[in-house]
Amino acid sequence: MSGALLLALIDKICVIVVAAYLITRTSRFSEVLDGKLTAKNQAALVLIFGAFSVFGTVSGVEIAGVIANVRDLGPMIGGLVGGPLVGLGAGLIGGGYRYILGGFTGLPCSIATVLAGAFGGAVYLLNRQRFVGIRGAVIFSVFVESFHMLLVLLISDPYSEALMVVRETGIPMIASNAIGMLIFAFMISNLIKERETKEERDEYLAELERKKTELNIAREIQESFLPETVPPLKGFDLAAKSLPAKEVGGDFYDFIPISKDEMGLVIADVSGKSVPAALFMVLSRAMVKASAAKNPSVSEVAKRANDLIAADAKSGMFVTLFYAILDQKARTLRYVNAGHNPPLVLNGETGNLTLLKTRGIAMGVMDDAEMEEREIGIGEGDLVVFYTDGVTEASDDGFYQFGVERLVETVKKNSHLSAAGLVEKITGEVLAFSKGAPQFDDITLMVLKGERTR
Amino acid sequence: MKIDDKSSGDVKIVSPAGRLDASSSEELKARMEGLIGDGCRKMVLNFDGVEYISSSGLRVMLASLKQLRKTGGDLKLASLKPYVRETFEIAGFTQLFEIYDGEDEAVAEFGK
Repeated sequence: MSGALLLALIDKICVIVVAAYLITRTSRFSEVLDGKLTAKNQAALVLIFGAFSVFGTVSGVEIAGVIANVRDLGPMIGGLVGGPLVGLGAGLIGGGYRYILGGFTGLPCSIATVLAGAFGGAVYLLNRQRFVGIRGAVIFSVFVESFHMLLVLLISDPYSEALMVVRETGIPMIASNAIGMLIFAFMISNLIKERETKEERDEYLAELERKKTELNIAREIQESFLPETVPPLKGFDLAAKSLPAKEVGGDFYDFIPISKDEMGLVIADVSGKSVPAALFMVLSRAMVKASAAKNPSVSEVAKRANDLIAADAKSGMFVTLFYAILDQKARTLRYVNAGHNPPLVLNGETGNLTLLKTRGIAMGVMDDAEMEEREIGIGEGDLVVFYTDGVTEASDDGFYQFGVERLVETVKKNSHLSAAGLVEKITGEVLAFSKGAPQFDDITLMVLKGERTR
Repeated sequence: MKIDDKSSGDVKIVSPAGRLDASSSEELKARMEGLIGDGCRKMVLNFDGVEYISSSGLRVMLASLKQLRKTGGDLKLASLKPYVRETFEIAGFTQLFEIYDGEDEAVAEFGK
């Protein structure tokens, strides 16, 4: 191969690179890669690759009086990317132009170009309407060019001259088309990868956005159903607070007036996260409120609420709930514990600790659940701390949990504080303990304190 | 989390190891649902390797129990560590599940 020929080939490859770049970056081309084979897009590709085929003919490199060219390249790529119509269309343009030029190889060469496009389209269809990939495309181009040479031998007359043409141009034709195909296929497959990555990223971002919206909705639902103020009580100090986790759970507390002297107190934790938990929380809260109205029996309320919730609970949903009625006159707390963390009662005089446990089960788990009712007196200075597992299961980054003992200790040490002061103190301690670790669960606290009247 | 499962006759024994928190509970849920989907009706959950269970873990147990009992099957629990047993007790779930000291006893109970 002479130096001039090599230069000419490099020159042509450069042109192909630029053409490949420009063609693959057109919006029509991108749309076709996305499978949008509209009539307009197909027509555009026919024109582009038809023109590229014509360019292949006129830019041919002369080898021993015969021209080696990349005329078949355009139709092949058109077919591989845009299907049989694009391949055939581009082939007809390129092949037609070649036919007009005439010459003794005119007929086989133009037929070969038309068929190159048709074959490309067939490969596209066989590959389930997707681009065949770099290796497949290059092998395909070698096959098509070999077939082109075969056609020249079969059709051109005289045979001896045809044989000479094939001998001289066969290898350069196959090689230059394969190189051209390599360049195009490389760019196309890069483009496909790029678009897939972008698609994945877009999907991921959309998913993230959806999740964020969902969390916000869940939080708004949850917050809008928490009482805004604590009702005033005679002889008792009451405070409550709920810190929703990032992935909102379904903690709630509620105050339900029962009679002049009686106030219902609820603290609960719905299993699950996000919107389903928030909705289940709203449902549970409504069921408890409806059942509690003017009913002095906490066990009856719990049983009724459980039956209502169980009827609606989807598999696995449940809510642990502690319900109590504070009688401000009798200074008693009648309570029922439906599977909730037992509240702590710290006796103001003796410092003794009692856990408010009863025989009960989380609501929504089974129909006709037995709910035991108990009663405890609340003396002056006594503290009742209601909490959810977000308090005791708050963990530091080493997975150590805040735990009940630390909670008891904090309560004992700060029993002089007001109810609101103690709520703040405990949440502060819990957050300080789990500092650095993300808050996994809602932290909800309610403190009731028997006021000293002396 | 590491979750082993094996068969003893027609009873599947599932043994998770580690902490059953929100994310590992999802893994366990997928595994148990898979086994139930494959036709398992009798399941024993061996808690020997579980130090901690959160309410998400309880939810997975409850969902599987409901699913199995609906089709005449059951889920029995074995080898609960003190913390895990306490979590089941607080929620009242000890009334709901049959709990055994060891895996063999739970499996044997299915044979009765």
